[in-house]
Amino acid sequence: MMKKIYIILFLALAFQSCDNFDEDININPNLPSQASGTQLIANAELYLPGLSSSPRGEFFAQYLAETQYVGTSLYPQESTSFYSYYQGPLENLQTVLNNQDNLSSTEGPVNNQVAVAKILRAYFYWNVTDRWGDIPYNEALMGSENFTPSYDTQESIYLDLFEELKEATSIMVSGSISNDIVYDGDMENWRLLANTIRLFMALRLSEVDPDLAQAEFADALDDGVIMENADNLVYYHLAEANNQNYWYGQIVDRNREWWALTEKLVTEMLPYNDPRLQVYGDPARASDAYVGLRFGEEEAIGTEEYSLLGSDIYAQDAPVYLVTSAQVYFAIAEAVSRGWVAGSAEENYNMAIEQSIMQWTGSDAGVTSFLNQPEVAFDSSNAIESIANQRWVHLYMHGYEAWSEWRRTGFPAGFESPNGAEIPLRLSYPDNESFNNSENYEEAVSRQFDGEDLIYGQVWWDQ
Amino acid sequence: MEKKFTFLALLSFMFTTTFFAQNQIVSGTVKVAEDNMPLPGVNVIVKGTSNGTVTDMQGSYSLEVPPNSILVFSAIGFVSQEIEIDGQEELDVSLVQDTESLDEVVVTALGISRNKKSLGYATQEVEGEDLNLTNQQNVLGTLSGRIAGVQVTGSSGASMGGTQKIKIRGVNSINGGDEPLIVIDGTPISNSNFSGSAGADYGNLAQDINPSDIESVNVLKGPAASALYGIRGQYGVIMITTKKGKKGPKDVRVQVNSSLMLEFAGNFLPKQNMYGGGSSQTFRTLANGDPYVDLSVDESWGPRMDGTPVRQVFSFYPQDPTYGQLTPFIPHPDNIENYYETGVNLNNGVTVSGGNENTTYRLSLNDTRIEGIEPNTELKRNNLGVNASLDLAENITVSTNINYARNDAQRPGQGSEYGVAYFNQWFQRNLDMTRLKDYMYDDGTILHWNLRRPNSDTGEITNFDPLYWNNPYFNAYENLSNDSRDRFFGDVTLSYNILPELEIRGAIRSDMYTQNIENRTAFGGTGLPAYSVGKYQNKEWNYELLAQYNKKFGDISLDGTLGGNIYNRNYSYLSQATVGGLSAPGFYNIDASIDRPSTTSYKLEKQIRSLFAMVSLGYLDTYFLDASIRNDNSSALPEDNNSYWYPSVSGSLVFSELVNWEVLSFGKFRASYAQAGSDLSPYRTTVAYGVGTVYNGVNTLYVPDNLNNPDIEPSFSHSYETGLDLQFFGNRLGLNFTYYKQRNKNQIISLDVSGASGYGSSTINAGLIENDGIEISLSGKPIQSNDFSWEAIFNISQNKSEVVELAPGIDVYNYGSTTYSSVSSYLNSYEGKPFGSLVGQAYQRDEATGDILVDGNGMPLYTDSTYDFGTVLPDFTGGFQNTIRWKNLSLNAMIDFQGGGQFFSRSKMLGVRTGQDPLTVATNENGMNVRDPLEDGGGVLVTGISAETGERVENFVDARSYYRNVLGRRIYEEWLYDASYIKLSEVRFGYTFGTKTMEMLPFDSVNIALIARNPAMIWQNAPDGIDPSAISTGSQSISWYESGQLATVRSYGINLNITF
Repeated sequence: MMKKIYIILFLALAFQSCDNFDEDININPNLPSQASGTQLIANAELYLPGLSSSPRGEFFAQYLAETQYVGTSLYPQESTSFYSYYQGPLENLQTVLNNQDNLSSTEGPVNNQVAVAKILRAYFYWNVTDRWGDIPYNEALMGSENFTPSYDTQESIYLDLFEELKEATSIMVSGSISNDIVYDGDMENWRLLANTIRLFMALRLSEVDPDLAQAEFADALDDGVIMENADNLVYYHLAEANNQNYWYGQIVDRNREWWALTEKLVTEMLPYNDPRLQVYGDPARASDAYVGLRFGEEEAIGTEEYSLLGSDIYAQDAPVYLVTSAQVYFAIAEAVSRGWVAGSAEENYNMAIEQSIMQWTGSDAGVTSFLNQPEVAFDSSNAIESIANQRWVHLYMHGYEAWSEWRRTGFPAGFESPNGAEIPLRLSYPDNESFNNSENYEEAVSRQFDGEDLIYGQVWWDQ
Repeated sequence: MEKKFTFLALLSFMFTTTFFAQNQIVSGTVKVAEDNMPLPGVNVIVKGTSNGTVTDMQGSYSLEVPPNSILVFSAIGFVSQEIEIDGQEELDVSLVQDTESLDEVVVTALGISRNKKSLGYATQEVEGEDLNLTNQQNVLGTLSGRIAGVQVTGSSGASMGGTQKIKIRGVNSINGGDEPLIVIDGTPISNSNFSGSAGADYGNLAQDINPSDIESVNVLKGPAASALYGIRGQYGVIMITTKKGKKGPKDVRVQVNSSLMLEFAGNFLPKQNMYGGGSSQTFRTLANGDPYVDLSVDESWGPRMDGTPVRQVFSFYPQDPTYGQLTPFIPHPDNIENYYETGVNLNNGVTVSGGNENTTYRLSLNDTRIEGIEPNTELKRNNLGVNASLDLAENITVSTNINYARNDAQRPGQGSEYGVAYFNQWFQRNLDMTRLKDYMYDDGTILHWNLRRPNSDTGEITNFDPLYWNNPYFNAYENLSNDSRDRFFGDVTLSYNILPELEIRGAIRSDMYTQNIENRTAFGGTGLPAYSVGKYQNKEWNYELLAQYNKKFGDISLDGTLGGNIYNRNYSYLSQATVGGLSAPGFYNIDASIDRPSTTSYKLEKQIRSLFAMVSLGYLDTYFLDASIRNDNSSALPEDNNSYWYPSVSGSLVFSELVNWEVLSFGKFRASYAQAGSDLSPYRTTVAYGVGTVYNGVNTLYVPDNLNNPDIEPSFSHSYETGLDLQFFGNRLGLNFTYYKQRNKNQIISLDVSGASGYGSSTINAGLIENDGIEISLSGKPIQSNDFSWEAIFNISQNKSEVVELAPGIDVYNYGSTTYSSVSSYLNSYEGKPFGSLVGQAYQRDEATGDILVDGNGMPLYTDSTYDFGTVLPDFTGGFQNTIRWKNLSLNAMIDFQGGGQFFSRSKMLGVRTGQDPLTVATNENGMNVRDPLEDGGGVLVTGISAETGERVENFVDARSYYRNVLGRRIYEEWLYDASYIKLSEVRFGYTFGTKTMEMLPFDSVNIALIARNPAMIWQNAPDGIDPSAISTGSQSISWYESGQLATVRSYGINLNITF
């Protein structure tokens, strides 16, 4: 007995001085050390609905008003973090692009994996720069090589994104990729999406650089854009809790009936029997009629007296519309009106509304009678505004995009200014950038906004 | 002192091999000559043999001896006496205190016994008896104030064994994770914590130690003391020695210890009782004109509670007897107090100990049952301890310590949005808690108070799903949080004295536990019904071999130690949670998950291999020099860079041996230098991908937010320490003074970086954090007479920390952040400043006058969340321990205190925001209530400098907008409180039955005592209702903000201790 213990102890000691452990002792057995390109891309795609599903975006576009605890809709000066876009989808996509040489062609042609990663990366960057202004770009996503990336100007980012998107379509080859939860690997869809993003980006420059805007717009249109709802960039949530709609989690799971349609939205739709209204919202419970809540109202609020979100909007598996053919037709209508491209502004305007009603209601019933109303019909004397107004109705629940279009065009007019607070013009940078990346942060703020990182600073294209 | 006597006694019987079983019995009492007090723990040995015994608590002994032998009475600190028996059967002895000797033996690192005077670093011991005055469950909590330089941050007793956090000599790691190693009888044990910062507080795992098993606790405060623990000892070691049986003539001792305590909730945040629930002072009305309380608002900005008949929440439930009725709208001032119950804490322990000439044993059994102050909360704990030793041969001993602990608890939730603590933050002052108690109607409908408003046409509520908050009783009885843990720890040790001066010791040590955690979210409340369950298993093994050599060569003494250790840790868990709801009410099982449940399986393996050596030289018992070195190889470090050396050197000079000054009984100067290190958790050096959501059969993977680092090195601390130990007037007054400086370099931290880099944080070696401070411990016996004595120990320590540097290009380290209503606050460490600055929104102030700036509406302006309010760490901490004895009565009182330190209180802030705090109904300068309309002279007077005009302005502003939207939401400066306090933490008033009574009883001794735990906060700077000594939030290692703190618990009871 005693001897045995001694033997064990001495054996133990014999290994003592040895610093060679089992080779894999410090390899994490709980997580994969390899990731395929398409699995990383798929994870980045999970972030797509987050670009749209946010109360703040809806408040900036004044689609929704708060029924209780009115606060965020009063446009307080506060910072908003962009870190999750970099740490989430962008870093996943960057990892795919950094590892191009090691991507496996068993999941589809490597070129196509790279193309999709580039398109998605460009799409996320575009959204981020439109909201915040100058952002880290060239020095971003470098991990330990640069923990304090500098901020690039929005102008340079736009120029680079045009090129990135063109390159993405140029390297595409035939063959689909796997694990694509958005387009099921269909490269033609990705090609159309890349060109459509360019089209919208070009339009965004209508005020700051009309020549560049026109050239890029015509170029993108030539290359082929999304002309049918079937090709839209739509994120389909699933009817299960792991992949459910943000609004379902809030309204059903958490019993938060915090949002009503705004008075403005109802006023723009109800008088014209807009067939989309029954999808957008429900009649108020108290009166069984569509009643909008004045945006920024703090006293006369409640959940019974106003129209809340429609059940299709907060369904667990509701789709999130991100890049749509209706927007394309609105864009073409506007480009025609601006004289950038040839065509009929009115036809494109009508087509846009038809596509929108089809998208939201699933049928074209009521389109003609809707368009026949003088208040709805295209007004060529006031083309930009009538396009912008109907585009705003179409972009419902994609508040950030509608807000960007409002910043660019100034339409629709007549938004509320709660307690005198105007609609913000950008998001303030994350406040921890002032700790984590202070020099670059301060430089970016002084370069663009005179040193004040406020929500009323104007981004480059918003001039 | 008693502990040292018994320890020496134990040593003195190490060589017991023979026993003369015959002859006469001699018995008697040993007393202290100076005061005639009985002296326990005196060795009584038959001269020339190893036959002997030890005196008991009453100083009595009884021994079988050969006639005409000589008895030797010896005890540390006393002059030994030899007395011839000469046929006497009774022999009472008085021992004279020996002012010359202070040969106290202390247990140091790795269980090596050392003569205290030879140590070149500070050690401070606490007797187990002092830690068990009032039967606290968590031994770390009882250390508060008892050791200079040790800071304990506790939590409310309502958690029943909740988190007690311990920091030694300030914060020594930038990420705050500098927990000392806990070692019990040489076995390092886990002190992990499964709590988050909110939810149930399961407490730190060191609470599995049965406090009544503890003989003594010795805290190795600095790296010099803990150098032999190498990579595991950088942040100090808490060494616990348990009680053992005693060798000697066959003797069985049984001790029964029972206590019963009643626990009461106390220290409530004050509340106003003028205005009830709602957001406007006018009632909303139903179609028929009936006014009703706005159930949808969880705040108290509503109408005045003047008795107006209104429809209250109960009247909307058709099942309720008051359905459809109007009832008076009145305050319920005690509604929060009414929720709490009287807790019961019953503790029963039995120990059996004894031994004979070659064995010792001690068996202990303890049972603790607590019913908490919150309804339906409880803790059951069982401890079983076995210690035994057996001499296999003259020079070979095998010994073992085995401990088993079982915990079974149902605990309350804590934190902002957990459990019931929300009602300090969001509640209606008009709610009658006693009406909420029956939370379920006969038909199963749940009674809640926070519902949608009734339909304005029908006046009915159709949807009874609660909006934000459950009925607190529903939480208590339906949303249960259960946890249980089975744990074994202990060792088997074999020691072999090859030569009298050479001992070889081998030990196998283990600590293993299985922790289960289960949580339920029931149907009928907020949130989806859910169930989660986790099983966490940890096994740690230590294989240790040690050779010790002690020899005196004339005036020179030599102590040498050489050893090795292999540490192995295997940890795994399986945790699962339902997703998307449960398939049927009451079916709490992962199989009830509507959608694909979330599951995690995890395993971890880590190994550290170590070699160490120590040499200690003494000359003339006056000059001592120690040196040690340890080599550690950690499997968690990068493969080609995993072996590190940690040296230490220390020396001491017993100058009282050199000077002859009568007043000074002992004097020592000591100094030391050491390096210690710490590594990191496994798997932090290589890249791995995260497993993302599965979408329709597509498994996604992602790049994790933390960037691992293949070049990581262990962190190093360099520490310097010097001090004086002085004893005066025959040891009646003692002073220990220590100055230390510790430089912790190359910390392994997960540094927050700009997210734009693609990562949120990166594991790096960075930083230098410096702590220096002083520790003073004064001990004295101001009164010492036959019937009356007073002993006191006063500890105080001061620590200053500075973050000298972080990483290149980085001058801020973010430890933590909390965001409420889009307003964030942070705990940051800035280069060049003390550790842990509170950062949040402050008033904007006029540069010239310092007055606050106000906007055009007269409302205060606030800064961004970047204002540095300064460090959260206290300036000094300490304690004052008193023992007073008068005849058979004894009084123990423990006071602990802290000076400085600060924290944010979100409970206070939200109490103001939601109109519950008395501040929101104050009378203003016009003599009106601040809630009265501005035009009637109401409102809150705000004076400041107008930011627009630069003029001084005075405005009355609307109270609700001011408190709710500005002060109570944005200006954290208002909710920052000083954490200083003086607390009476423990009191014990005991009576020991006298010898005469005992003669009539079949017991050796009986002690009965009244005990009180946490009876009073003597002084605090923070407002009433917040306990600055208990702002621990779960496993967060630094306490910096309070939110949803559990109610303070005050416990009073009775304790009975019987020995026979």
